[in-house]
Amino acid sequence: MQEITTYLAPRSLNEAAQAMAAGDVTVFCGGTDLAPQTESGARQHSACLMNIRRIEGLGGIEEKDGDIRIGALTTVSEIRRHPLIARVAPILAEAAEHFASDQIRNVASIGGNICNASPAGDMINPLLVLDAAVELASWADGAVQKRSVPLENFFTSPRRTVKRAEELLTTVVFRKPAADFVGRFRKSGPRPALEISTVSVGVGGNFSAGVLRNARVAFGSVAPTPLRARHVEVVLEGRRLDADVIGAALVAARDDARPIDDVRASAWYRSHLVEVFLEEALHHVRGN
Amino acid sequence: MEQKAAAPAIARKTLIGQRIKKPDAPDKASGKTRYINDMALPQMLHGKVLFAGRPHARIVRLDTSAAEKLPGVHAVLTGKDAVGLNFGFVRDNVPLKSIVRCEHDEIAAVAAESEDIARQALKLIEVEYEDLPGIFAPEDGARADAPLLRDNFPGNKSLHFAFKHGDVAAAEAASDFIVDSVFRPHHVTHCCMGTSCAIADFDDNGKLTIWTQSQYPYNYKMDLAPALGIQPGDIRVIQPPVGGAFGSKLDVYPYEPIAALLAKKTGRPVKVMYSREEEFKASPTRQPAVIHMRTGCKRDGALTFRSADVLLDNGAYTSWGPTIPVIMMRTTSGHYRVPVVDFKAQAIYTNNPYAGSFRGYGNVQTTWATAQQMDMLADMVDLDPLEFHIKNAQKSGEYTPQKSFLRECALAECLEAAGKASDYSRKRKEYAALRETPGRYKKGIGLASSIHNAGGAKIHKSDGIGTILKVDDYARVTVISGASEIGQGIDAVITLIVAEELGVPLEHVTLVNNDSDIAPWDVGVHASRTTFIAGNGTRRAAQKAKAQILQSAEKFLGEAAETLELRGGHVVRDACGTPLIKLDRLLRQMHFQDEPELVMVTDYYEPKSEPEGASHISDHSAAYSHAVHVAEITVDTLTGEIEVDRITVAQDVGRVINRMGLEGQIEGGIAIGLGYALSENMQLERGLLKNPSFRDYKLITAPEMPPLDMHFIESDCAEGPYGAKGISELPTIVIAPAIANALYNATGVRLFDPPLAPEKVARAIADLRQSRP
Repeated sequence: MQEITTYLAPRSLNEAAQAMAAGDVTVFCGGTDLAPQTESGARQHSACLMNIRRIEGLGGIEEKDGDIRIGALTTVSEIRRHPLIARVAPILAEAAEHFASDQIRNVASIGGNICNASPAGDMINPLLVLDAAVELASWADGAVQKRSVPLENFFTSPRRTVKRAEELLTTVVFRKPAADFVGRFRKSGPRPALEISTVSVGVGGNFSAGVLRNARVAFGSVAPTPLRARHVEVVLEGRRLDADVIGAALVAARDDARPIDDVRASAWYRSHLVEVFLEEALHHVRGN
Repeated sequence: MEQKAAAPAIARKTLIGQRIKKPDAPDKASGKTRYINDMALPQMLHGKVLFAGRPHARIVRLDTSAAEKLPGVHAVLTGKDAVGLNFGFVRDNVPLKSIVRCEHDEIAAVAAESEDIARQALKLIEVEYEDLPGIFAPEDGARADAPLLRDNFPGNKSLHFAFKHGDVAAAEAASDFIVDSVFRPHHVTHCCMGTSCAIADFDDNGKLTIWTQSQYPYNYKMDLAPALGIQPGDIRVIQPPVGGAFGSKLDVYPYEPIAALLAKKTGRPVKVMYSREEEFKASPTRQPAVIHMRTGCKRDGALTFRSADVLLDNGAYTSWGPTIPVIMMRTTSGHYRVPVVDFKAQAIYTNNPYAGSFRGYGNVQTTWATAQQMDMLADMVDLDPLEFHIKNAQKSGEYTPQKSFLRECALAECLEAAGKASDYSRKRKEYAALRETPGRYKKGIGLASSIHNAGGAKIHKSDGIGTILKVDDYARVTVISGASEIGQGIDAVITLIVAEELGVPLEHVTLVNNDSDIAPWDVGVHASRTTFIAGNGTRRAAQKAKAQILQSAEKFLGEAAETLELRGGHVVRDACGTPLIKLDRLLRQMHFQDEPELVMVTDYYEPKSEPEGASHISDHSAAYSHAVHVAEITVDTLTGEIEVDRITVAQDVGRVINRMGLEGQIEGGIAIGLGYALSENMQLERGLLKNPSFRDYKLITAPEMPPLDMHFIESDCAEGPYGAKGISELPTIVIAPAIANALYNATGVRLFDPPLAPEKVARAIADLRQSRP
């Protein structure tokens, strides 16, 4: 195991970005993924461990220019309890509700959950439904440089993202949903708590007069990355959400979900659950 | 005598049946308890084991030279250092292996200054393997053309058992209904919170002290000695607090002799402790089985026969797992009144992990089968299962075909109590009628019961216990007992019984029971025996002490001993409770008189039971008990998820001793049984464990525990302490088939292979719906 020779706990984003520019750094926030992964040998520490929890301005949830901005350090517990989230994006609170256990929610950060890039990441699914983007910061030309990447394009394969080694995820941003936005998140596993999703399904969109617009559907644990179910979205977009459309959406889901057999479930069961949860979520939307 | 004129009377009151806190609970709750895993001795080295990580292979090359040279490494041992050190039930195991027979086979072991150095040293050991074809199912191992895994076990057969009573062919012919099914109980493991750990230290006279989690310290010496090539008498066993055992520490496993061999080699104390992943891979499992069972009955519901043909996956080595037929056959022959029985079981060597004993010991597997077949037969006869069960229930005074004597049998009372409290019969009809109606969520109710030994089990020559009890000058009582405490609560029971008999406060009783050089013989914590056996031993010792004290009181007080009693720390007049002298004062008077006497007594209690014997026809336990569970569930027919809404328990406990301990044992036992029924599963692929973590091995956790409605039936066991029977295994045994029967009631799906995990249930429901027009 690589020995940690340097431990950094920067107070500012400037310091953090400079440290990351200078060399290979393992970023530590809640540690709920990092600790078990390094312990089991699935992942190696770099010689430099950087705790980002003391960086000012990297936490908190705010509304700004019609955007909802969630700092990378924000814990899942904070999201779960935040009045703004409850008002404008309850789907995110719903996912936080089903995230691991209280102990883990209290330290696990939204930035960490995204950067861990698990196909089963519970916070990723609702953020895809909200069409979120992530902001990445790095140090270049004597200053912090930022770029924004749509979350949908962020993941490349299990545990891999487009984020470069010297970049730090600072913020998750999504447009504040309109008043007629309806969302629903559903995950499964044989236990109510401490469960890694067998599959997760998120559905959202602007729903009025029985019609769903800006339909966004996300699936977790059915492919190498969390994904937007584009085939399902096409079927739903701008259509009256009746039994026929829901039926067609379930058929289309088979083009989006490409699950595999693994230790947690068979491909058959995952596909089956996607249909069960998608139908459930669409009926929920229709009932609103 | 000095007397206070108007000392208030001390009323007679009993502690039996009260709620007593476990003496170690505050320290465990606050984190103060120092478990064996927390222990460190001066100069102690850390041992680590290199596991093969493949199921079957020859070792072509093994080079430990680089590891030996690593600074901080004190010893590296391999199979060459363990030649001839055979141990285990049929002596088929050695501490370190020269040939690989299962994934967790121990190939080499290192002792080093730190765990990190030991880990690095393991990486420096070079091993070249030549993989061999493996056997991963007992059916495959039993085939004529199967490769032979061991030269001295033809046909890969390890242990076999048989019991026959009556003419099965005739009974079959006379049956109106017969159910015939194959059940496949699976691999699960104990999941003790404290992972396996041992610390070994030799003195310069060659005597070994081993700090261990063992739950059977005396026979442990006998089992450990051959693995080290020393005498059992040269072993001292110390049992620090443990984080659970549940039967997993009822045998010697290789890490223990490995710690001792490393200690011997280095002359320093050596600690070996497993990580959670190692624990999943290398600790014993529950015995998996293939049970082909047939049960028949007449049109009126009377059982005619039961047969069981059992194939056991022995795994690579023989521990207690493949001995479970001893109990399987008791249930096959004794679960309800079965006039004709044919039981046979064969264990087959494979390259899978091997099984030890585990709470419920064979009865979990058998009851999974018998209790489902009872439900199926009731359906065929078209009787309410409750009625069907009561019709076939044994009564007090009956013998089973194996001659288990049911002196006090409360099975019918348990059935009636559980049936009534859960409103079983009405709900069962109602839910069955709703089975075919539309609706995603279906409710179901299921009933199951079983029988288990409740007064020990004489599988060794002795099922007894030694007890030493002393009362000091301050009226503080020390009980030195062979009974091990592994979390089951014998500490509270012993304390309670001493306080009951000697009239002293609970907190004035100390239990010493964790050092084999001090405490006398006991066969170990198993077979639901400890409250029964150690309870009797403690009570008898306390009564001897009491008799001695009251004899002296007679002398000092001039009142007849028979009219005196010990209460509230005093000698009192039994009839009116008037205190005559404080107990500590009397004890000092006894001590400091001309003919001084101390109160220190010994007792050896051997229960009235017969050795199991080769014929298996014997009254092998001093008592038997029954329990009935009714499970109420809601099934999500689309996801297959089963939510357990409520469990009603009616158990013959003989007599409640410590009510809190009893409730805790039933809750804990059911948690293990629910995990077995619903979620726990060691996923083995060609001998390799695919889910060695709590992330993917699903225990039942607190939020999933349903409300329990417990009914304690007190049958007042003549041989038990205060009438008590052993209680701790039945809760684990009975719940799983109750869930399976409830699933059938809810959905019409019957599953014989546990666990009833969501995917399996969803698929079965989908298949059933598809098969219907």
